[in-house]
Amino acid sequence: MRKVVGLIVNPVAGMGGSVGLKGTDGGMYERALELGATPVTPQRTHQLFDHVSGRDEIRLLVAPGKMGEHYAGGVGLPFSVVGEIGEETSASDTKRLAREMVDHGAELLIFVGGDGTARDICDAVGTEVPVVGVPAGVKIFSAAFALSARAAADMVDAFVGGVDVTEEEVLDIDEDAFRDDRLASKLYGYLLVPEVRKFLQPGKAASNVGRSATETKQAIAAHIIEEMDPEILYLFGPGTTAKAITDQMGLSKTLLGVDAVLAGELVGEDVNEKGILDLFKGCSQRKIVVTPIGGNGFIFGRGSKQFTPEVIRQVGRENIIVVGTRDKVSQLDCLRVDTGDLALDEALSGYVEVTVGYREAMVMEVKYR
Amino acid sequence: MNVVKLDMNEMPYAPPQHVIVAAGKGLSDLNRYADAQGLRQLRELLAEYAGVSEHHVVLSPGSDFLLREIIHAFSRERQVVTVSPSFLPTVQIADRFAPKRLGIRLSPPDFGLDPDLLISALEPLSLVIIDNPNNPTGQILLDRGLVATIAERQETLVVVDEAYFEFSGVTCAQLVTDHPNLCVVRTLDKAFGLAGARVGYAIAGEVFLNALSSFYVSLPQTSLYAATEALQNSGYMRRNVSRIVRERERLWQALRTLGACVYPSNANFLLLKAQVPDMAQRLRELDVWVSDMSNQLPLGYIRVSVGTREENKMFATRYNQVVCGS
Repeated sequence: MRKVVGLIVNPVAGMGGSVGLKGTDGGMYERALELGATPVTPQRTHQLFDHVSGRDEIRLLVAPGKMGEHYAGGVGLPFSVVGEIGEETSASDTKRLAREMVDHGAELLIFVGGDGTARDICDAVGTEVPVVGVPAGVKIFSAAFALSARAAADMVDAFVGGVDVTEEEVLDIDEDAFRDDRLASKLYGYLLVPEVRKFLQPGKAASNVGRSATETKQAIAAHIIEEMDPEILYLFGPGTTAKAITDQMGLSKTLLGVDAVLAGELVGEDVNEKGILDLFKGCSQRKIVVTPIGGNGFIFGRGSKQFTPEVIRQVGRENIIVVGTRDKVSQLDCLRVDTGDLALDEALSGYVEVTVGYREAMVMEVKYR
Repeated sequence: MNVVKLDMNEMPYAPPQHVIVAAGKGLSDLNRYADAQGLRQLRELLAEYAGVSEHHVVLSPGSDFLLREIIHAFSRERQVVTVSPSFLPTVQIADRFAPKRLGIRLSPPDFGLDPDLLISALEPLSLVIIDNPNNPTGQILLDRGLVATIAERQETLVVVDEAYFEFSGVTCAQLVTDHPNLCVVRTLDKAFGLAGARVGYAIAGEVFLNALSSFYVSLPQTSLYAATEALQNSGYMRRNVSRIVRERERLWQALRTLGACVYPSNANFLLLKAQVPDMAQRLRELDVWVSDMSNQLPLGYIRVSVGTREENKMFATRYNQVVCGS
C-alpha cells in the first residue's frame, strides 16, 4: 500500500534572493521580477525527487500547474491533481490546497517554500499530519524545514520507513525588518516533522546519545517535576518542552499559550498579563518555565508576549527556569531577551543554567542586544 | 580523485623511517604480550618528556580510554563539569554514565571560558574535565594559575585533556606533583603522528593513581615499539609541529582573504562558521572531508584539520567553490 504524499510548491519563494531582496512578501515579488529574478523552486523540487529512494511506496497528490503538477510528470511516481489555481498564486492557494490534500487522505505534506509558506501550512493543517519543508526561501529561520532538498528527501524516506514524528517551530519573520538587517522573529506555531538526524554526516555521532527529542523532553520533564514545590506558582511558557512537563503531570497545556500550575493543578489556562498578575495576588512565590526559540535563542520578548516586563520583574531573575533539549540548545550561540524594557533586559543578561536533561544542565550567556 | 581527509585532526605527514622500522620490529614479537620492561621504559620516557616522575604516568591504548575510566571511577557521586563544545567522546561518556552533568557554553567570537563562572559553577564534589586547547575551538581555556586555583579545592577533581598540547605549548602537567586531585591526559596520536598506534597516557596525581591502579594496561607490540622510538628521537615531531603551525597560519590567512569566518587556533585544526549550513556534506561530495560540528554548535560550523600545503589549498579551493555556488 503506497503512502499518500501531498506536494505543494510555492512558485515565488526564494526569488528575492538572487536579486538582493530578502523575501517576496508584500510587493517584493513584482520587484524581484523587475530585477530579473528567476524561479528557485523548480531546482529544489527536482533535487528533492532525485534523492527520494522509496519511490515504490509513494503516491503523490499534487497541487495544479506550477504549484506541483508541472514537476510530477518527471519524477516517475503515480500522481493525481488536487484543487484548482488561477494565473497568479497566493498564500490563500497554499492554505486551501493543503487543507484539500489532507481531506483527500494525504499522510504527509511536502512543501517547497520559505518561512511564509510554512506559516500558511501551519494555518491550514497545524499538527494534523507530518510535513517535510524543502527550503527555497531567501533565508529560512523555521526549524520545521529540512536542511536542504537532499535532507528533505531523507526525511520523506524516513517517513515512508515509519519513523516517529516530532514538533518543530515555525517562526514569524518580519521581512521588512529583515531587509533592514534586523532579525525580528517570533514563535508562530508548530509543525510535525519526521524525526531524523538530518544534519549529521554519515556515521557521525550525535551529542545526545541514542535519545530522541521526545525522550529528552521527558527526561527534562522528570527533572523539573522532581524539583517542583507545591507552594510555588509555576508559569509555563509556550513550546513543546514546557508542554512535555505538564503532559507528564497529567495536565492539559496550550502549546502556544502561558499556563499556570499550583500544587499539581492547572490554575490558569492561556493566561494573559492581567490573568497572570491576578494569580500573583494569591501566591507570593512564583517561577517561570521557558524554553528558547529555536534558531535565535529568545527566551523573552518573542513568542511569549504574556511575560511582560511587569510579570518578569514580579517573578525575579532567580526564579526563571530555562529548559530545552541539548540538540536545540546546541544550535544557539547564546540566549537572548528583548522585553522592550532595556533596564530589565540588562538585569536578565549574564549566565543562566538551562536544564537540558535529567540532572543535566548547560550554562549559557543571556544577551540583550 | 583521492579524498582529502581533514576530519580527524591527524598529522598529515607519515612517521619517519626510524619509527616505521621500530614498529616493524614489534611485528616479530606478535606472539607475545608487550613485556613489563618495555612498558616501564615507555613510561620513563613519557615522564622525562612531561617533566614528572615515572610514578605519575599511566599508559592507555588511546587517551579516550583513560577519560572513560576516569568518568566511570569518579562520576557516581560527583557533578561532571565540562565545556560545550568539547571533545565529543568525553561528552558522550559523561552523558551515558554520569548521573549529574553541567556544560558551560563557549560562545563566539572568542569561545573563552570565564574563570569566575567556572569556579562558581562547581559543587563541592565535582569532576571537571576540560580540553586545553579546546576541541573544536582551538582556544586555550585554562592557564596554570587557574588549574592550580581549582585544584586547591581538595574535594574537586580536575582533568585536563592536553591532546593538542604540543601545538599550544601550554601545559599544567607538572602541577600533579603538588595536586593529588589533578590529572593530565595526553596522546601520541596527534603531534607524534601515531594515530594508528593509539598510545595515550595520563600524568596523574595520587587520587587518580589510586583509582587507576586496577586499570590494567598493555599495548600492542607495534605501538610500544613505535612509541618508544618516537620518544627517543622526537626531533621529527617538533619539526612537524612547526610545519603544521606555519601551515595553520597560512591557511587561516587564506581563508580570511576569501572572506571566511575562521577563528584563531592553538591546535592543529581551525574552526569555521560557514554561511552554508550543510557545508561539511557539500565538501564531502567534493571529496574533502571535514568535521561537521552541528552536533555541538549551530549549523554551519565545521572543523578542518591542518593538512599538507596541497591539502590545505584543495580545501580552500573547494570551500570557496561551495560558497560561490550556493
